[in-house]
Amino acid sequence: MGRYIARRLIYLFVVLFVVSVITFGLMHAVPGGPFDREKKLPKEIMENLNKRYHLDEPLVMQYGRYMYDVMIPHFSIKAPTSSLLDDHLFNVKVGPIWIKWMNFGPSYSSRSRTVNDIFRDQLPISMQLGLMALFVALVIGLPLGILAALKQNTIFDYLGMSVAIFGVSVPVIVLGPILIYIFGVSLKLLPPTGWGAKPPYVLGFLPAKLDWNFWKYAIMPPIALGLGSSAIIARLTRASLLQVIREDYIRTARAKGLQERLVITRHALKNSLIPVVTILGPMFAALVTGTFVTELTFGIPGMGKYFVTSITNRDYPVIMGTILLYVVFLVIANLVVDILYAYLDPRIRYD
Amino acid sequence: MRKLYLAISLLVLASMVLAACQPQAVEVVKTVVVEKEGETVVITATPEAAPAEEAGPKTLRLNLGPGDVPTIDPALATDTSSTQINILTMVGLTRQDEVTTETKPGMAKEWTISEDGLTYTFKLRDDVTWVKYDGTQVVQVTDCEGNPRKVTANDFKYGILRTLAPATASDYAYVLAFALKGAADYNAGKTEDPETVGVKVIDDYTLELTFNEPAAYNAQIAGMWVAYAQPSWLIDGDDCTEARGDRWTETGFFQGYGPYTLKEWVHDSYITLIKNPFWPGTEDIPQAKIDEVTFTMLDEVPAFAEYEAGNMDATGVPLADIDRVKADPTLSAELEIAPVQCTYYYGFNTKAPVVDDVRVRLALSKAIDRQGLIDNVLKGGQEPAQWFSRPGLAGAPTIDKFPDLGVKYDPEGAKALLDEYLKEKNLTADQLDLTLMFNTSSGHQKIAEAIQQMWKDNLGVNVKLVNQEWKVYLKTIKGKDTPQIWRLGWCQDYPDANNFIREVFSLGGSGNPDEDPKDGVPDGGINLLDEAFEAKVREAARELDPAKRVQLYAEAEDMLVVKNAAIAPIYWYTRVTVTKPYVQRTFSVLGGQEAIYKWDIKK
Repeated sequence: MGRYIARRLIYLFVVLFVVSVITFGLMHAVPGGPFDREKKLPKEIMENLNKRYHLDEPLVMQYGRYMYDVMIPHFSIKAPTSSLLDDHLFNVKVGPIWIKWMNFGPSYSSRSRTVNDIFRDQLPISMQLGLMALFVALVIGLPLGILAALKQNTIFDYLGMSVAIFGVSVPVIVLGPILIYIFGVSLKLLPPTGWGAKPPYVLGFLPAKLDWNFWKYAIMPPIALGLGSSAIIARLTRASLLQVIREDYIRTARAKGLQERLVITRHALKNSLIPVVTILGPMFAALVTGTFVTELTFGIPGMGKYFVTSITNRDYPVIMGTILLYVVFLVIANLVVDILYAYLDPRIRYD
Repeated sequence: MRKLYLAISLLVLASMVLAACQPQAVEVVKTVVVEKEGETVVITATPEAAPAEEAGPKTLRLNLGPGDVPTIDPALATDTSSTQINILTMVGLTRQDEVTTETKPGMAKEWTISEDGLTYTFKLRDDVTWVKYDGTQVVQVTDCEGNPRKVTANDFKYGILRTLAPATASDYAYVLAFALKGAADYNAGKTEDPETVGVKVIDDYTLELTFNEPAAYNAQIAGMWVAYAQPSWLIDGDDCTEARGDRWTETGFFQGYGPYTLKEWVHDSYITLIKNPFWPGTEDIPQAKIDEVTFTMLDEVPAFAEYEAGNMDATGVPLADIDRVKADPTLSAELEIAPVQCTYYYGFNTKAPVVDDVRVRLALSKAIDRQGLIDNVLKGGQEPAQWFSRPGLAGAPTIDKFPDLGVKYDPEGAKALLDEYLKEKNLTADQLDLTLMFNTSSGHQKIAEAIQQMWKDNLGVNVKLVNQEWKVYLKTIKGKDTPQIWRLGWCQDYPDANNFIREVFSLGGSGNPDEDPKDGVPDGGINLLDEAFEAKVREAARELDPAKRVQLYAEAEDMLVVKNAAIAPIYWYTRVTVTKPYVQRTFSVLGGQEAIYKWDIKK
């Protein structure tokens, strides 16, 4: 198992490399640059800007510089400065030497910030929201799916699946404003927009205080976001469980006189979770790295919008940073999923 | 009945949850009204009861629109959110009145202009100090000897030179580079000697600026945010201050001197400004009456929800809600439609097939029912544009004085012009191959579809609609592939007609680009080469008599929109806002730059 994980982590770097090359190539191939404005900037101003951000160098040099700044630890006797061009995610002092690692570069459109600032300040909020939405999705989706499968073709099944269809077909852009209008504007029970945590965060992503001031903001968005995912989980759980129940080993378990409850929990459920766990990987990665519409609807200062605005702004470092971050989350989530397979189905072995 | 029962039980459940969380709720309230212990007890008993603001400081909540404010560094600011913070936290040598657009004194008490109109000598106020928020209150910044740091002419010189320095890579440095003597070379890195730039410190409170042209708008440019004083000790460091470099504008570091100063900037979420009690208060920039102003960074729709929930004091009205707001008795009383210094227009590529004939262009322009578009599609009380420079700008013609200038909706006239062209070319209207291009957006799409229909109805021409993503589009309309008809809008950088008609449409302007200035031929946009027009806008810029200037700009507009018909002006922007009745405010026409130091709250 250890060797398998190590191999997969090396594979992560290969994926990162390939994705970074493709992204870098594509974003420079698209017409338009970060400093193209409605009012064209004078040549001298463009030259100053290009020089500051090294956009005047050949593309290969730019790529090399980027990867060097991100991947290779820098050693220096100088303490980190407050320059935006010298902002590293990790700064460690060993004796007289500073080790600085991972400089994802400055943002071109937010002239006072770096990509690392976005990772430090906005990613934690998206992670909090995403984890809660995932929790909502599982808490609603799993029981609904199991109930529907066990009571197939009864009122429970139809009701559960209706809820699931509703969840899939009513997107956040509709559900969000409805929730805001009912609980925020009419009843005034919850604040319509905003988020109850701000930097600094515990362990890099948890809010410093978990009180009502945090929770009152964190009720509507995870429900609005998680409902759609819960529907997917419910339908998948139902389909998978229905299939497993018809397997021979379930008949065997029943034949040897096992209680129905034990048959379901020990034998059927565990095996039926494999497809559910499979989609949880990408779902997790997508939810925790930011969700554009939910964050915009509820005014949550997360990372979601950077995936979209960075591209329309041609904000190269932010495009690269957000994409690479997503890749890391996706690959690691899938690795966790693979490890879970081995636990859920003992027949799966990786060595 | 059952439904009601369910709702009640839900409410009971909710109140139990609320009750469970009450210790925290009490804490929150305590932090708001620290002094009033007695009142907090009352609030504990009924958490949803009356807000306790009355006794506390006056606070205001406004919205700046989605996305983080790009920067609050005056050297780097380019957009309206950034400059909104700039004008509140700092003050330029002069200040534009946000309603009348007149140039008023700012940090300069008065200024004298040399006889050739090039050298301006500004006398600065000597009673303004740098301030910062220290975590509990606003304090004066002190120098290494412990004396308060005054805002001096040196700080202005440092600010101007920092904006111009090539390493700063400021977008808007071009305004100074264009206007100030020697600034272009310094900005382009041709010289590193700051003394070659036309900015000279005579003494601590006297600053001399030398300009390239004896232009009417020099005093305005001197008051722009790119020419604000900046704190050298904070940015570069000195004996008693740690250098903060690019990060000097962050919470805890920022220093300013305007009527407000930065209290907290939670990126992507909100900026809170706090009143600067050390701002002396002048006739044009009084001391602030509202103690704290919070700017949220919300999309228009959630911001409007916050307004309706009572958590926002003024906000824009989303297009989808305009009809409802107009019909609602409370909201309609809070509604205000105010002009904004922007113009929406369609440009014609005057070298492209079909639209290379001025009769076709003018016919297309005259066939647009602008009022109909505004009433049925835009709905925000916009004004139909007859020419390009929006009335209200210095030097721009106004509808009162020039009711018949430019283009108006005239379907018969349009048809006659087009028929003349068709007869000459021996064509029919449906044979004309025309394309209108715009950048991808549902708003532009709606406008384009409406105008496409007007052209079809009034002229019988079929115009194809094409859209492209914004940055791709910008490349397209500024190159040799410029389509026959394209759309853009223009908003002021400084409120003068020069910033509109000359900077956009004279050769090399953003709507008439010239990639290779040596050949003197335009490369896209309206593709217009008209010596008479060029001479007219140059003459207008130099004219110092306001009445004559307006006349010159009116003639230039006539050349642009009628004689050449190089553009079809469509509408002049307005802003649709709602403001709570207890807010006493002014409405800025400067595109988002609100003078909040003049506002008050009377509950």
